[in-house]
Amino acid sequence: MKAEFINPFLQAATQVLESELGAAPQRGTIGLQRSAYTSNEVTAVVGVTGGVSGMVLFSMAESTARGMVGVMMGQDFPEFDALAQSGIAEIGNVVTGRAAVLLAEAGFPSDLAPPMLIVGKGTLLSTLDVQRLVIPLETEFGSIEVQAALKENASARRAA
Amino acid sequence: MAKLMVVDEAAFMRLRACKFLQDNGHEVVQAENGAEAVRQYAEHRPDAVLMDITMPEMDGLAALKEIRKLDPNARVAMVTAMGQQAIVMEALKAGAKDFVLKPFQPDRVLGALQKLLAA
Repeated sequence: MKAEFINPFLQAATQVLESELGAAPQRGTIGLQRSAYTSNEVTAVVGVTGGVSGMVLFSMAESTARGMVGVMMGQDFPEFDALAQSGIAEIGNVVTGRAAVLLAEAGFPSDLAPPMLIVGKGTLLSTLDVQRLVIPLETEFGSIEVQAALKENASARRAA
Repeated sequence: MAKLMVVDEAAFMRLRACKFLQDNGHEVVQAENGAEAVRQYAEHRPDAVLMDITMPEMDGLAALKEIRKLDPNARVAMVTAMGQQAIVMEALKAGAKDFVLKPFQPDRVLGALQKLLAA
């Protein structure tokens, strides 16, 4: 994992969550993990291709997810229904999109795949030999972990 | 009050924008992809359009071009999570009047609409 990948995701996640939730999240200790990711109750997954390739995970409890989309929409979400799922997927999309802009400015132009969602706790997702950058963020609705499993794609970078 | 169209694949973002615009007194038509946006534009002729770029079936840039064929004076602002200069330039060349970057910021959306409606 290149050090240049850290700031784009940290900056993007902080900016987007502050804009959407009205308060900046508190950052925990950033780390690297290689072991398989075990899903929390809700995980948004966004694929990245281009100068950087891999995926970005946004992991949280269902109550955190419902709290966030509730404040964004201005209504309660007693269930984590299709509309709430769409909202969480879009947060992942917007954070990764913002990070992609910053990565492009750092010389790693990249595109995003449409966001997907894993709903349910305990699924193992291996990123194989790609380490994951783990950024813990604390919001008023609970914790979110941004996990970026990315590697530089030198040929795509040269082509750009 | 204006008649507006919101085009976004993501149901949450589309409904959120619709709710916000309706709360601000506007009539809102919605579409979930570019092809539907072109059909809805032909039927409803909205005063202004907020159009996402990345969508299935027909993306926002292609829909913008089709809408401008239907109505060369169409007032369209592009909305996207990506902020790359190349996409901005392509949309502006294709006739977009403004550009709104996600995440959704109410003041920025209202500002873009005021600019569109005054054009």
